[in-house]
Order: sequence, then structure tokens, then C-alpha cells
Amino acid sequence: MDPIRERMRQLTRRWFLRDSSLALGGMALAADLLPTARPAVGPGRHHHPPRARNVIWLHMEGAPPTLDMFDRKPVLDRFDGKPCPDEFLQKERFAFIKGHPKLLGHRWGFQRRNRLGVEVIELLPHLAQVLDDCCLVKSMFTDQFNHAPAELMLLTGAPRPGRPSTGSWLSYGLGSENRNLPAFVVLMSGNLPSAGKSLWSPGFLPSVHQGVEFRTQGDPVPYLADPAGMDRAQRQRLLAAMSDLNRQHAATAGNPETDTRIAQYELAFAMQMSVPEATDLASEPAAIHELYGTTPGRTSLANNCLLARRLIERGVRFVHLFDSGWDIHGTGPGDDLMTQFPKKCRELDRPLAALLLDLRRRGLLDDTLVIWGGEFGRTPMNEERDGSRFFGRDHHPHCHAMLLAGGGIKAGAVIGATDELGYKIVESPIHVHDLQATVLHCLGLDHERLTFPFQGRDFRLTDVFGRVRPELLA
Amino acid sequence: MARHLVPVFSWLAGIAVAQQSLPAPAAGAVDYPSQIAPLLAEHCGRCHGAERQRNGLRLDRRAAILKGGRQGPAAVVGDSTQSLLVRKVAGMADGKVMPPEGALMTAAQLGLLRAWIDQGMAMPGADGPDDGTHWSYRAVRLPALPPVDDAAWCQQPLDRFVLHRLQREGLRPSPAAPRATWLRRVALDLCGLPPTPAEVAAFLADTAPDAYERQVDRLLALPSYGEQRAWRWLDLARYADSMGYEKDGLRRTMWRWRDQLIASWNEDVPFDRFTQEQLAGDLLRAATLEQQVATAFHRQTMNNTEGGTDNEEFRCAAVVDRVNTTMSVWMGSTMACAQCHDHKYDPFTQVEYYRLFAFFDQTEDADRDDEAPTLPAPTAAQQARAMAIAGERAAAVAELRADDAAVQAWAEAQRRVLSAFDAAAPVASTWQVLGPLAAADFDAAYATVWAPERGVTNDRLQEGLSWRPAPEFVDGRVHTWRGDNSAWYLYRTIASGAAASAVLSLGSDDAIKVWWNGKEVLAKKVGRAAGADQELLPVELTPGINTLLLKIVNGGGPGGFYFDLRRSTMPPELVATLMLPPDACDEAQRQQVRDAFRQTAPDLAPVRAKIAALDAELAALAGPAVPVMRELPADRRRTTRVHVRGSFLTQGEVVTPDVPSCWPPLGDRPRNRLGLAQWLCAPENPLTARVQVNRVWEELFGRGLVETVEDFGAQGDPPMHPELLDWLAAGFMTDWSMKRLLRTIVLSATYRQSSVVLPELLARDPYNRLLARAPALRLSGEALRDQALAVSGLLRERIGGPSVMPHQPDGVWLQMYSGDRWQTSPGDDRWRRSMYTFWRRTSPHPMLMVFDAPSREVCKTLRVRTNTPLQALASWNDPQFVEAAVALAARALREPGDDLPRLEAAFVRCLLRAPTERERDRLLLLVRDERRHFAANPAAATALVGPWTELAGPPPIELATFTVLANVLLSLDEFVTRG
Repeated sequence: MDPIRERMRQLTRRWFLRDSSLALGGMALAADLLPTARPAVGPGRHHHPPRARNVIWLHMEGAPPTLDMFDRKPVLDRFDGKPCPDEFLQKERFAFIKGHPKLLGHRWGFQRRNRLGVEVIELLPHLAQVLDDCCLVKSMFTDQFNHAPAELMLLTGAPRPGRPSTGSWLSYGLGSENRNLPAFVVLMSGNLPSAGKSLWSPGFLPSVHQGVEFRTQGDPVPYLADPAGMDRAQRQRLLAAMSDLNRQHAATAGNPETDTRIAQYELAFAMQMSVPEATDLASEPAAIHELYGTTPGRTSLANNCLLARRLIERGVRFVHLFDSGWDIHGTGPGDDLMTQFPKKCRELDRPLAALLLDLRRRGLLDDTLVIWGGEFGRTPMNEERDGSRFFGRDHHPHCHAMLLAGGGIKAGAVIGATDELGYKIVESPIHVHDLQATVLHCLGLDHERLTFPFQGRDFRLTDVFGRVRPELLA
Repeated sequence: MARHLVPVFSWLAGIAVAQQSLPAPAAGAVDYPSQIAPLLAEHCGRCHGAERQRNGLRLDRRAAILKGGRQGPAAVVGDSTQSLLVRKVAGMADGKVMPPEGALMTAAQLGLLRAWIDQGMAMPGADGPDDGTHWSYRAVRLPALPPVDDAAWCQQPLDRFVLHRLQREGLRPSPAAPRATWLRRVALDLCGLPPTPAEVAAFLADTAPDAYERQVDRLLALPSYGEQRAWRWLDLARYADSMGYEKDGLRRTMWRWRDQLIASWNEDVPFDRFTQEQLAGDLLRAATLEQQVATAFHRQTMNNTEGGTDNEEFRCAAVVDRVNTTMSVWMGSTMACAQCHDHKYDPFTQVEYYRLFAFFDQTEDADRDDEAPTLPAPTAAQQARAMAIAGERAAAVAELRADDAAVQAWAEAQRRVLSAFDAAAPVASTWQVLGPLAAADFDAAYATVWAPERGVTNDRLQEGLSWRPAPEFVDGRVHTWRGDNSAWYLYRTIASGAAASAVLSLGSDDAIKVWWNGKEVLAKKVGRAAGADQELLPVELTPGINTLLLKIVNGGGPGGFYFDLRRSTMPPELVATLMLPPDACDEAQRQQVRDAFRQTAPDLAPVRAKIAALDAELAALAGPAVPVMRELPADRRRTTRVHVRGSFLTQGEVVTPDVPSCWPPLGDRPRNRLGLAQWLCAPENPLTARVQVNRVWEELFGRGLVETVEDFGAQGDPPMHPELLDWLAAGFMTDWSMKRLLRTIVLSATYRQSSVVLPELLARDPYNRLLARAPALRLSGEALRDQALAVSGLLRERIGGPSVMPHQPDGVWLQMYSGDRWQTSPGDDRWRRSMYTFWRRTSPHPMLMVFDAPSREVCKTLRVRTNTPLQALASWNDPQFVEAAVALAARALREPGDDLPRLEAAFVRCLLRAPTERERDRLLLLVRDERRHFAANPAAATALVGPWTELAGPPPIELATFTVLANVLLSLDEFVTRG
């Protein structure tokens, strides 16, 4: 390889990315910003050969107690109910815990059902079987201990609103592979996350890179449906008339933007068909519904898992699932380890296992990076807020587990370890910025070079931090 | 030139071919700030800049370059071939090419670098000889007008700059746009609304030489001019009707600032005074209400009301936002970069950042949930009404006459009542108490009917509950207890010797219900601490035993009650006076009785009711409480320190207010916000005027003269027409009149050009930087909707007032912590201009978002203009646009005649020109097709137009047919574009 030639090639790649941002102020190139107006992704847009084409990120809003799910601590069971070590409390700020909290042992049993030999909570029997496809990271950590800032940190790289979300960065960097669907789709089951729509905001990137919420009630996309009384054939006639008039205007006005608009109108018409088609779960065979546990028409994590697979199949770059209800504080039966937590596990177990299985069977797992996890971990101590008798754990930024699978990720690996009480990381700490850098890497992007100039400097997803973690990569 | 043995590479961009020479130095004088600094910053700055100096080498200071790093001096002044910097960048030293990562310099860039070194390495600023400053930091001077070969083309002096430049490029300006096109353009630019066909016709018929001028003057005098200016300012001010952050609670009073803003622009308040009012109106001598309201500009910062957040952290975040916004809006500078470290490209240090921070660090606001300090700010209408009410009230008070005989009779009657109470000599038993009775919540505790409410059987177990005596509950004192979400019952008897009137004085913490002689006489669900006389209940004592039952419901914290038995609701002093024999009273006491008569005499009740109503109305006219800037008193001023690495928790050295040293000094202006505001618009300030005229230029031409409207620093683009920029800026500084500035530009020949794009021009100057034509710009979401409302006749042009809620898809406002709902405004408020649409930061209106509106969490100086399919869907299907289409159809159908005149009327309304024959035929075809379709499917016609019964009138099939025609018109490229 000729190093200089290679350098020059990289240079043109970089200029390619930069040019698209420079076009911001102007009309003439504005259309160039659009993933839909570009040809499908080409190798020129990657910094290096990608390992994955798409991402499905399942965010468990509220932060699941991964300690109880994937990180069994026999010592914790042994000291159940005993005061936690004094050093846990030094220079520590908890969200809710007051006084000297007591350790809380696991309340559910574990099982080994995979070749990896990883012990998984008994409440996740299906997921336990597909763990061999996954990379289990036990040593994730963050800087934030409240939901909204931690979610923003995880997904936008900074704890305050205003930065582009990971999906927006990917849309900006790689565009969409399907001209008839958005590059970045958001699916929600349950409440809006604490940090709200900032989690799929384009920040300072052009708004076209915003995550598009596919809603389960009403139009999946705003204003998708024609008004009552207008059918497809009529819309098509209207479109034809619009295009004819717009073409006549383009001939006299000569504005290239008019041509783009004509194309976008045709695209809008196509989307009116493709979005309902993509979101039509009822068209899936019974066996698939059996596998995922889906019921068309409902709002559920299961439905969203299946929908995510359909969207990925159709070339959507990034599907972000948000599932709420994981904030297991133990203030009552609605958020405790004994009632709410098993309910959430049930809702998760089969759909996530099905998604991984389904992706693998269809050969999509190689191209698709699947990420599962919450915004932080939970304490090994019982929260006991205001003397609550329900079991629960407080927010804990020092360690939590996440699952990665698919495109570019090492399958069947366990990375990192926590101490014997699950309080601190003792091996391979992986900051959320490292995760972001690694995700971009799998998609063929260098997190230090995927930048956007704003307020006088080049911003990036990982702020000024983060490094790609080779131990996660296949 | 030295030849070297090591092969180096040609610097023709993109091709790597072995060659053995350096590119030649660039010809002509090289300017460090505009040509060299950005080059070094981009290619070398990462390792050899302010932040990091690998191998000890720093390349953004002249002395540092000459001193060099570990390998010795990086440059030899006057000899670029011997300069290590050049050789490294050329790959001629030790075989390695600099930079090791990132883009290499091109041949042209290397030539520039060489020329700069050869010419003496002039580096203004830090430590170089002061032979030039960064272009935008040089004072604004009025440039001489350049010569042109076609003076007749020029309408304004500014045209000479444009034409001069075009001549140099060998280009000609485009012909003038058709008059109707110009009028639509200028009306949309100045007022945000299109002209009517009648206005266009009048202008076309106006052959007077000053016809253009009079149109501009007409538009500048319209109230919608102020709306349009204000709307432009809203993105800069990050205006919103909510506080932002996670909870994003609503801000229901900020519109009052927006009203003030509209008025300011309509009055054409000079921009220097406007600046002082926006930033420091409260500090002006004898500040008016409006000037204080103007300071809400900097209270648009986000406010974090989430429980457990550190108010100081978010107060600091707000102050940071104020610094960044001020520097961005006025100075076009990216000061935000210096919040955590010295600016990497511009000459601002972190200490200087916190000196600016210090200007804004002395206001009372502190991220409090109630947004204090706020200022009640009645609108002009409210103030006028309040004045009128004061007059009416004075007249009503005069009606409260008290002649002696009536007063005497009234006093006598009162004495009889009071005496009866004394004669009855009521005696109350000890309180019996039952409680606390816990419930799930406050509401349940209040609503639950426990046994005592169904009848008291005293001194016995009642349904498992038992009464106990409470002798400690003596009258006339507040008694408290604990128990969240619980009810207490209190029961006693009152024995009376005769019939008499009495008054129960009661207090409760929180809610209270009262039964007198078995009858409920009071039920009040409130939250409060208990106190005397919270309730004064007149009751009738019957001879013998009277019963009294209280239910006190506590929410959280302490609960409790107060009880006293009174003779009268009148104050004790008055009662004492009334009991005196009439002739024993002195004048003061007689006056006391007269006053009491006025307050209680039944005959005067209507007058009193009128006064009470006026007082209530007056209270409601206090006006919205607007968050404002208010300086801390001298004894509570903060000490500002540098926040090390931008963290408010790590406080560094103490700083006092001052401006960065690269700009003219603050001088003897006050070291507060007012002084800063004065300095911003001082004659010696090089940036404010340039930044403002540039932003106006961007608005009118789609691209600033300086394309980076937000960055006039080293990383920003230098101006394409520097003299034009300065000519405009110098002119603006003479009177700071925005109306005059706009008038000058829109009357220029440059602005009047046609926007038709010729292919050769497009190839030559795709971004239209040379201004050889006018740009065609896609309208903002706001302007598009306003235009649709205007052409359909729906628009309601009421200026100002609270934000409104036009139609929005269900479910867009899903907030975790709030019961706030989007409720479509009643009446015609949904047809107000889009600048009044309620703006929630976490959830701005989706139609506006689709058209590139920012979230308004922070200041945004530029909106991009994208072109997406979602925009098509919005203009086709958003009910706001469908409704406008129905209204436009109804309007067209009111035209006499058949399809053709009706179709043409609708077309002209939208595009302000007659359709061409081809266009007309195409649309006629559409109308006929769709009429046939609806005639065959009448239910479809009804479904389409049915929801808009307010607009109905014509038969549904006709209305639906023209509605789809209107739907086409409202989506046409020509309609959504300002040509």
C-alpha cells in the first residue's frame, strides 16, 4: 500500500464529510444534507471498513438492576441485611439513600444455560439461552447519578440537553440506506424517558438527522396520513399536478432546489406507503408472533423488537427502543424487586431473545449491532427510602452491565468484573464514552473524526474523551 | 531555491506524485489573521496550539515559533526554505510529513505559509509587530465608494460595491425581478406576510418614480413589521413558553416580553438603546416598566426545577448562557469556547471569559422554582383599564353615604343583637376529639365519610372509633397535631340561655368541614397553616343545647385548628364602641360607627358589591409576573471567580467585570450590565454593527456577507464584500435605525434583481456569493403557515398577547411530570400568526420542527433550510394547512363565474401572478378530474370538508374539488419559496 496515496484517500473522505457540513448556510447544497437525496451509503463515507450497517439500541429507561441479572455475588447474599462497609459511604452522594444502608442480597435465583457459563437470573430463561451470541460487559460506568443527565451522557455524550444523539450522528455520518424511510427511528414502550426528546435530538446538526418517533397510535410519522376523504389515487393525481407545475416553474426559475423539492414530494408519497407497510406487524406469520410474543396493535417492548427487525431489514440505520419502568427503588410494589422487577423481566425476556435469534436466522446479526442496557447501575444496598419495607436499589453510577451483540462485536465474551459486592469495578472499566467510540468504530467511523463545527469548534459524540475498546471487538 | 536529496511530494491536492521541490511562495501580501492563523490552527493546532505543545512547540504565537521546540527554532524570519516549519510540513525533514494525522497542507497553502515567513512573519496581537489586527477587530470605517461602469444600474450606494466586484469577475447583475415578485419578496421579508392581489395591482399601476420607496415605507409602518422583527429576535433570545430541562414547566408570562419586543421594533427604537434595554433596562435611570420588562431577554435561560438539583449549578449555567448569547448575538464571537480553557483560535483567555461572566453574575435570579424575581407588568390595555377603574371606584366610594339617622338606627339594631348574645350567655362543653383517621391521600381523607358525619353519638365507641375529651384545646388558640393524609373530628355542645346570633371564628390546617346543629354549614378544601379568623361563620344559637362538629383534614406536615365563639363578625374594638351609650361617644368613635355602617348596611350592599367587583378586576389587571433581571443590593453581591475547567465547583482566582483585551477597553463606563451594553454599541466597538448588518443580510440574501454569521473570529469566514459590510455597518452606527437599514437594502438594485438562476451563473457561483442574482429562499415554517392563513383569509392579525395553541397532533405533549395538556385554542385564536404558537422547549410544534425550527434551549443565530419529505407531508396533511385549503377553496368559490375565474382567483391569491396558459390548463384538468371523482364519491367530499363546518357554505362536492386544488397550490415550490 502506498501510504501517501492512502493518506490522500483519507483526506478526501474527510473533506467529503466536512463539505456536507459547510453546505449548511446555503440553499444550493442544502439538499445534499439529506440522506434521502443521496445515493445509498458508499464506502467513501466511512473512515474504515464497517463491521456493522445498522444499530438496534434497547434502552431500559430507569436503569435495570443488572447486578441481579448478570453479575451474581454470593458474598452479597452472605451479608444480606448487614450494614454496608463504611468506605462505601465516604465522599459518596446517593440519590435517595440516607444514613447507613444495609446490603441487599439477590432476591432471585440464577441459572446457567449457555456455553459461556454465565449465570443469568432465573427470570430470563430465554435470554440466557442466546447469551452465547452476546458480549456481556460487566464493567460499564458513567459520571451521572440522575436519570436525565445519565441518559443524555449515554446517548449524546454530554449530561445536558443540546448535543446530537448517537443515532443523529450516524444519520449525519452515514445517511440512510432506504430512501423511503428515515435513517433514525425511535420506538417507545411506556413513559417518555426522563430526558425526553433530547435523547433523539439532532442538537446542532441539521434537523433532518433528528430521530423520528414512530408512534404506535395514530400516524407513525407526523402528517403521514392523507386527510379523511382523500384516497391514494387522488393523492397521486394531486402529486402529478404538483410535479407538472413545479417542473414548469423549474424550467423558468432554474433553481436546483425546485428539482430537489419535486423529488422530495415523490419521496413523501412513497413514504406514505412504505411507513405503514414497514410498521404493519400483522403481516408477520404466526410463528414469528409466537417467537416474540407479539400482539399487533399493542404498545409493547415485544412489538417494538419485532418492528425494529422490520425497520433494519428495510435499511433504517438506527432504531432506538426505549422501555420504561426499570427504576427499581423499592418504594412500593410498583418499583420493587419482588413485583415490578419480575414483571419487567418477563416483558423483556422473550422479545429480546427472539430478536437476537431472528436476526441470526435471517443473517442480519452480522450487520446489525444490538445494544441493551440502562443509563447506570443500582446499589448493592437496599434503598429503604423513608423506611420502606419493599426491596429496591438506589442509583449507582460506578458499575453496571450491558449486553452487546452482532456486527463487529465479540460473541460469547464476558468483559470486565466488579468487586465481590458489586460496588466498584475491579477489571476493565469501560466508560460510556468508550462505548460510543466503539459503536462508531463498528459502523466504520472514527469518533475523533466524525465532527461538526458549532460555536467555533468541532464537536463530536464523545466530547473530548473516549477510546475504542478492542476487547469488545470480534 | 534549494534542491533536496529527499524526494518530496507535489502539493497538488489529491494527487501524489514524487517531486523534488517546494511550491513557490504565494504572490502578494499575506495577511496573518485571515490567511495564516486558520491554516496553522487547522493543520497544526491540535498538537501545537494553546492547549497542547508537543515537543514543546507552539505555533500560535510569533515568539513561540521563533523559539521553537525541542528541535530548535521553527522558522527563520525572511527565509522560508530554511524554516523547519515549512520543511516539516513539506515532508522534507527526516522523511516525516507534518501533520502526522489529519489533512496535509495543499501546495497553495504551503505557498502562503512560505510567503508569510519570507515577508517577515507579521503576527498582530499577542507578541508580533502590530501591523494588522484580525479583520473584524479593526474599527469600522466608512469606505469610499468604488468606481463602476454602470452607475445607472445602482439604486443605492451599496450597489456600487456589488457591481464593482461583479465587474472584476467579468459578470453582470441579473435583470430586475418583476414588480410583483419584488413586492412579494419585500413584504415577506419585512412583515412576514404576502401582499394581497389588490396591493400588487395598485403597485403595478403606480408609475410614479418613488413607487418602490412608498411601498417600503408602507410596509415598515405596518404593525406586522414589528412582529416580523420580533420573530427573528426570538431564536436569538431563545424565547419559549417553558423553562426547559427535564421537567420543562410552563412559563405562562413570558409573552409579555414578546409584546414589549414587538412594540420596540415598531417604534424603531435605535439599536444602541434597544441593546441597553434588553441587557440592562433595569439599570437605566428612572427605568420605565417597559424597560424593565425588556430585560426578560436574559431570563429566557432555562430553569431547572427538578427536585434535588443544585440551584447554584443551574444559576451558573444560566449566567454562562447569558455570556455566550450576548457574545454571539452582539459580537459574533464564540466566547463559549473559553469557558473551560483559553480560546484555541481567538485571543480570549479563560480569565477574560469569567470577567464577562462577572457582568452577569450580580442579578437576584438563582434558578428558583418560582423564577423570582418577577415583575407584575400590566399591558397597555390593562393599564388603561386600571386607570378607568380607579375613576369608577372613586365615584362608587362617594355613593357610600351615611346620614346620621340611618347610622343611629343601624347602631341601635346592632346593640340589640349584641345584647341578646350577652343575655344568652352561651357555655361551651369540653371538645371531644376523634382522630387521626388515616387515608390513602389528602383527597381521600377529605372525601371519606367517617361515622361522626352520619351523626354523633358522643362519649361512645362509634363504629370502632372512640371519642376522647380534649380539655387542652382551649378557645382562642391554635392547637396542632401530626399525621399526614388524615382527618380529625372535634365535637362539642354549646348551651344557650336564649335565642341569639353568634359567630364562630375558625382556623384549620388544612381542610375544614363544619356542622352546626347537625347541618353542614362549611366545607372548604384548602391547604394552609391554622390561624385565627380564617373563617368567620355566623350561626344562630337556639335556646338550650346547640351542637358543633368540626372535621379537620391534614395533608402533610403538622395539622391543627383554631376556635373561638364571638358575638359578632365585627372587630372587638367596634363592638366595644357600639355597646357604649350613643352620647358617650367621641368624634373618632362616631366616625368608627359611620365607617362600620358603610361597610355593613344592607342598603349600601349594591354599592359595596360594585366596589368589590372593581377591586377584583383591578387585582386581575396587575398583569403577568414577568421574570426580569434585577441587580443584587450592595450587601449581597457575589464574588466572581474563575471556574476551573468550567466547573462551578472548582473556584479559581477572583475576577471583576471587564471586556477582553483584544477589543477596545470598557473605559470609564460603569462595570455592570449597563456599562457592557453601552460598550457593545460604542463607536469604537468594531463588531456589533457589523454583526447586526450581516445578520440582516443573511436574512435577506440567504447567506451573510460573512457566511459564518455566528463567528467573526479567526475560525470564521472572512467577508466576501468587506467594504460593503463596513459601509452598511458605518451607516447603521450613525443612527442605529433598523428601519433605515432595511429600507436601504431592500431598495437596492442588488436586492431588486431577479432570482432566476441561469445555468452558467450557477456553475460559476453556485452559492451566489458574488450576488449576481437574488436568492430564492424556502420560507420558514412560521412564514409558510402565516402565508397559508393569509391567502385563505383565515389569518387574524391581532398583535401580541399570550401564546396560543393551534391544532397539533394528539400525543405530542407527553410529559412525565406534568398534567399540562395541549388544548386547541378556542375561537379564532388558532388562526393567529405562528410567532404566537405556544413554544414548549422539549416539544415545539411538530410542523415548525419539520421546517427546521430550533428547540430554543439555547441561542441559535442561524436556521438551516432543509428540504425533506416530511415537509411535503406537513404542507399536504397538517390539518392547519388542510383547513387553510378549505378556506381558500370557499373563498375562490365566492368568485362569480365558472371554474376558470375561480381557479385564477385562487392562483393569483397564492402566487400573485396570473397562471400561464399551460398552468391554467393543467389545473383545469385537475379540477374536472376531481369534480368527477367527488361526484362519484360524495361521501369522500363530505369527509374532506366536513370537519371545517365553520367554513362551509358551497356544496360539498364543489368545496372539496376546490380544496384539493388549493392543497396543490399551497404546496407549490413557488408558494413555499420566496423568489
